Parts: sequence; structure tokens; C-alpha cells
Amino acid sequence: MDNIQQNAQQSLRRAVVVAGNRIPFARAGGAHANASNQDMLTAAIDGLVARAGISGERLGAVAGGAVLKHSRDFNLTREAVLGSALDPATPAFDIQMACATGMETVSTISNKIRVGQIEAGIAGGVDSASDAPIAVSEGLRRALLQLQRAKTPTQKLKALKNLRPNDLVPAAPTTGEPRTGLSMGEHQALTTQQWGVSREDQDQIAASSHQNLAAAYDRGFFDDLVTPFKGVSKDNNMRADSTVEKLSTLNPVFGKKLSGEATMTAGNSTPLTDGASAVLITSEDWASEHHLTPMAEVVDSEAAAVDFVSGNEGLLMAPAYAVPRLLARQGLTLQDMDLIEIHEAFASTVLAIMAAWESEEFCRDRLGLSEPVGTVDRSKLNVNGSSLAAGHPFAATGGRIVASTAKELAARAKAEGRPQTALISVCAAGGQGVAMILRSV
Amino acid sequence: MTRSAEQLPTVPENYEQVQPAAKPNLGLLYATAGASAAGGFASDAAARALPALRKSPLGKVLPASLLNRGGDRLRAALEVPKIAHVVEGLTVDAEWHEKFCRVVHATPRPLVPGSSETAVFSGALHSLAFPVAMSVLTRQDFPLPVMGMVHLTNSVQHVMNVAVGEELTATAWTENLRTHRAGTVVDAVVTLTRNDGTVVWAGRSGYLAKGQTAAIAGEGARTSEEEWTDSSLTVPFNAPQQTAQWSLKADTGREYAGVSGDYNPIHLSGPSAKALGMKGAIAHGMYTASRALAATGVPSEVPFSWSVEFAAPVLLPATVAVSVHDDGRREHWNGSRVIAWNPKRNKPHLELVVKPL
Repeated sequence: MDNIQQNAQQSLRRAVVVAGNRIPFARAGGAHANASNQDMLTAAIDGLVARAGISGERLGAVAGGAVLKHSRDFNLTREAVLGSALDPATPAFDIQMACATGMETVSTISNKIRVGQIEAGIAGGVDSASDAPIAVSEGLRRALLQLQRAKTPTQKLKALKNLRPNDLVPAAPTTGEPRTGLSMGEHQALTTQQWGVSREDQDQIAASSHQNLAAAYDRGFFDDLVTPFKGVSKDNNMRADSTVEKLSTLNPVFGKKLSGEATMTAGNSTPLTDGASAVLITSEDWASEHHLTPMAEVVDSEAAAVDFVSGNEGLLMAPAYAVPRLLARQGLTLQDMDLIEIHEAFASTVLAIMAAWESEEFCRDRLGLSEPVGTVDRSKLNVNGSSLAAGHPFAATGGRIVASTAKELAARAKAEGRPQTALISVCAAGGQGVAMILRSV
Repeated sequence: MTRSAEQLPTVPENYEQVQPAAKPNLGLLYATAGASAAGGFASDAAARALPALRKSPLGKVLPASLLNRGGDRLRAALEVPKIAHVVEGLTVDAEWHEKFCRVVHATPRPLVPGSSETAVFSGALHSLAFPVAMSVLTRQDFPLPVMGMVHLTNSVQHVMNVAVGEELTATAWTENLRTHRAGTVVDAVVTLTRNDGTVVWAGRSGYLAKGQTAAIAGEGARTSEEEWTDSSLTVPFNAPQQTAQWSLKADTGREYAGVSGDYNPIHLSGPSAKALGMKGAIAHGMYTASRALAATGVPSEVPFSWSVEFAAPVLLPATVAVSVHDDGRREHWNGSRVIAWNPKRNKPHLELVVKPL
């Protein structure tokens, strides 16, 4: 058995990240308010194609997706490809795994390359909280569908007869979990309380996120990762002068009905954002044939899910399970990581996950480990800022993190003269999460 | 743990079983009871809010007990009619059942795994049986005023699954009249039986007639403080860990009325509820009970009992905090408990306990 697995591993090729591109993320209702998902995803892909010099190329696959999706966007990624500079003979497909959508597209494209199905592909995602689909109410929808099926005038009248004035009020999308009715923020407030995460720690994570992102912009880190879009050249949620003191003045917005202090504010929670990202992943051969320099290898990824409906586990705690499983499979520990990226859905999500890994009780009872996973060295955490500063257009976040991390790994490997490894963790609605390991090449 | 058939409620021996002349119609029953409220005792506001009811010809044939609500005390000794109403040929309509399930967020399940037939949700069976119970409660010889009665408790034995479309007989009666610190409590009992006589479902609802105190005839009279003691809904209320939230819109009562047929004005709108002494429209107790039941992990093929105790009413619109706890899952399921409360005022709304039969 071991032999078969080893052989299987050996026959796999390496999938490498060679380039990344995104449009600046913009707060919802702002700069990108009139851009559709398709506009933004096309812009992200086109920017990537231009940067990599692969205009007119037929790629093996493009995987993308959006969390908030119009029904007309059934083939969103394929439509974006058709509108892009890629060869129209490039196939494309959509994936949806809530906020982990981007991570899952990277994983899927990498795996296709690793098993030899394709040579090169793009993984990406997009979301618009501004151009969100507004659905008609359930009553109106059913009446309209019945009307469509109706053949006689009597049947048509009957279909409309049951309509009530309230049915004309549209249903806007919410961040509520369908099974619990609680918003993501309220779910996280429960986890925050459970882990006793302090307000100050959360504000510290938020301030660092803004400061790190601003510093990365200042040193030109994003020059070959971001393409301006609609007059915006930087993520407009970023506040370079953010400090713990300033953040401490904000009023809490989540967990106000819980006993104990409410600590989650608009400052330490991610805002609704519009944006898109795309990552070019190829085989090593394809990269060299196209004179592209690999930045990092996509080593492996692991998805996890938790039972949050019963309250047995926090909604956004799945990465706490995915990461230890992934590390174990790769024979690695937290201490082997040179960079750690934990998606900042909320500052307290990052802190609760890290607290779980430090907890002997959690690691024993929930993960079945004899020792805690370990402590995250804060100097390795989200070094170029994360979602609290950049914003979080749900499906676009995975591509943002993978591209930035791959570039940082390559730079550090070159500077330090030794290979560098990074861990990425992204939580998602539905109690899901995806972890990934990247390594410099 | 198995419960023998003896513990299912049966019509007391000295009761007469009668078939009501027509199938009970809730709309008419409420018109009857509502008109009595408007005409008999309620404020001018009630009369203004319920002109249609007041003018209703049904008001002229009101039960004397409903009209005579001027006094706080009923003078004569109370006695429930020794009558059971039997209605045959009831069926659950497929389209209605789907609607009902949508409204209370229940997932329709197959009769048995792999079956093409759909099992009727237990809360929907209550709605099927409810008009028959109401027909007894609104009888002329029923001694308590129905309008304004408070639904205190509800317990159901779901003995076996019923298929959508299956023919059932409902038998309803009242019994167990007893005093309560806030008035008088009576049980309305309904059983649903198959044509072969098997009882598939039995429900017992405890209703409180507030402020109605009187001597109770017979030996069965007793006080019912026990309904308030053996529960998690203690004062002060200790909220459990929240697992879910219900965001109930102002039209929740109208929506549930639409599928349950329970058009009690206290659920329909602010003015109609205020006319009957409520602060505003309140959610149906059985709506919240059905939503709570639908949120549990009770396996579809297991016979079970569920009982709900209602505390503070849910004033609409409302944000209700909910805690759903399942003891085990699937074949290891050993019971469920749901508590719903008002998180702002830390006041409990209901507690539902589900157990295998």
C-alpha cells in the first residue's frame, strides 16, 4: 500500500504558480459598484494574460467562481474567458465553495496539472457585493413560475390571485447561514466569546493588517500583482494610519445580545467588498517553454468542515481541523512554516484558530493529537496584510492570498538562499475551510 | 423505552361520540368566537376593529358561555361537555403539505427510506386535527370563553408516520378541567386513527382561560402548578448557548394562518390583536413549535413524542434566539431539546422536548 502511494506521489508532476493578478478591491457600493462579476473577472484574467504574455494562448482550463451570483451567470468563468485575450478554445468552469472558492479553484487547477491532464490553467474568483443579485420574493417567484406554466386565461388569473402586496418586496442576499438564521458575524461572536478573544488582540490584528498592506504597497510589492481598474489603483478599504488606539474607539456591531462584552467592530471585521483575482498555474515544462519563472509550487491542500449547526463547533473553525491534517499528511509542523496566511474573515477568527492550535484540550479532544499543534509566530503571520485591510470579495480572496504568498516565498527564498514554505488557511460559510501548502521553487 | 398503547389518550367511557353536522371550518369558528368577543365583552376598539365579525349573523347563534363574559368569575360549577367529535375522511393534501413545510422550515421526508410516498410532518398533523378540537371548544355547552384563551402546553405522540393523502379519522374531546393560579385550564385532546382503528397520532393541548375561576364539577378537579415547575423555563431565565436565530417578519402570523387555517385575530395584525387585549400581533404557538420541531434531528422513521411549553408570546416582528440540542444522531438519536427566547429581554418563549416513544 505504501509503495503504491509513493509511486502515485512520484508519478505526479509539480504544479507551479507563475503569475498572479487582481484588480484593487473596493468597498461595496463604491468604486466598482457598477461593475458586474463578469466585468471584474474578465479584467483580472486579462491583466494576468498581459502580464504573463500569453495572449491568444489556449490554456487547459480556467476555473473561477463567485459566491453572490446572478442566475444569468451560470457560465460566469467561460463568459469571462470568451471576453478575454485568451484563445476562445480555452475551456472554463465554475466552482462555488463560499469564501474558499478561490482556494478550491487553485487546488483543482493544480491537481489537473499534477496528474497530467492539463499543462496550464488559471484559477480565480470574483465577487460583487454591490452588483449583488436581488431575487423576487418566494411568493412572487412561485406565482411567476405558475403563470409561465399556465395555458388558459383562467389559469393565469389563478396564478396571480394569490399574490400579496408583501410579495412585491424583493429578497436581498444576506450573510445569514441558511440553517441557523444567524449572520456570519453573530456566529463568529459566539466563537469569540467561547475562546475569550479580547478586543485589544482583535484590534491589534486589524491594525497590523492595514499597516502591513500599506507597507507592501509602499515598497512596490503589488506592482506586478495588481492591475488598476476603474480609476482605482489600491484597495480602497486600506487605512495606512490605522492604529489600535483608533480602532478601540469603534462601537461593537456583533455579539451585542450575548452575555459578556461585545468586542467585534466594523474595524476588526471585514467589510463587504467588490473585486476579482486570477492566478496562472502551470507545469514546470510549460513555464520554461513560455519563459515564465515559477514562484512557488502548490504542494497540497486539505478541506475540512465542522458541525456548526448543532453549536458543537464554531462556524469559521474548520481551518483549525484542515491545517493539522494537511501538516500531518506532509510530515510537517507549524514550526516548519516560514509564512502563515490566515484569512481574516474577522480578526477574532484568526485569533480563535490560533488559540485552538495552542490549546492542549482542543488538540486532544477535537483533533486527537497528543500535543498541541503549536504557536503561530506572529512575525510570520499575514506579512503583507490580509482581508481586514484589503477587503474580502468572497471568491476572490483565495487568488489574492495564493499569488501574494507565492511571490513572497520566491523573494524570501532568493534572499535567504534556502527553500521557503507557506501555510494558507481560509475559512468559509457552511462551516467549511481549505488549507494549502505552497513551497518556493 | 416503549410506551404501551394504553398510554395513548382514549375517549373517556362516559362520553358520547358524535359526528358534527358539517366539517368544522375554522374561519367560521373564529367568526363565532370573535363576534362574541366584540359583542360581548371587549372594548370599543374591538368593535371597531372587527366590524365584519360583529355584524356576522353567526353572532346571533353564539354559545351563551361566550357571550356572558362581563363578570370575572363564572358562578356555576364548571363541567366540560361529555362529548367527543368524530370526523372521518380527513386527508393531507400534497400541495398544502408542501406549503405548510415551507412556512415552518420543515423538510418533507419519505414515509420510509426509499418510499415514493411522503410522510406528513407532525406539526402539519396538528393543523389537520385542530379544527376538530376547535369544534368542541366552541360548542354551546363548552363552559369557557375560547377567544383569548392561552395555549400553555402541547404534547404529541407521533406513533407512526402518516402518508400524504392517507385517509384518517379525527376524534376530539375536552377533559381534565382544572384550576390554575391564573384561571382555569382544560385539555383539548385529538387522536388521528387509520381506518383499521390504529391510533397513529395523538395530541393534547392545554389551554388557559385567564381570570376564569370557579368551582369545578366532579372529582377530577385539581390545580395544575406542575406545568410550570418541571421545566427549563425558570425565573430568572438562564439562556442556553444559542445555535440559531429566527427572524420573524410582521406577516409571520398571516403566513402561518394561511397554511394552518388558524385565523385567530391575535396573530393577524396589530389592530386585530390589540382589540383582543394583546400588545400586538403574536406568532402562533404552533408555528414556533413546528419550527422548533423541524430544527431537531429526530430521525424520520422513529416513533416519537414531542411536548412544548409556551412562556412569553412572540410579539411580531421578532428576532428569536434559539438553542437546538440533539442527544445523538440518526440511529443513536436519544432525544432533542429546543429552547427559544427573546435575547433582548432574556425572556423564554418556549421549550420543546422530543423523545423516542
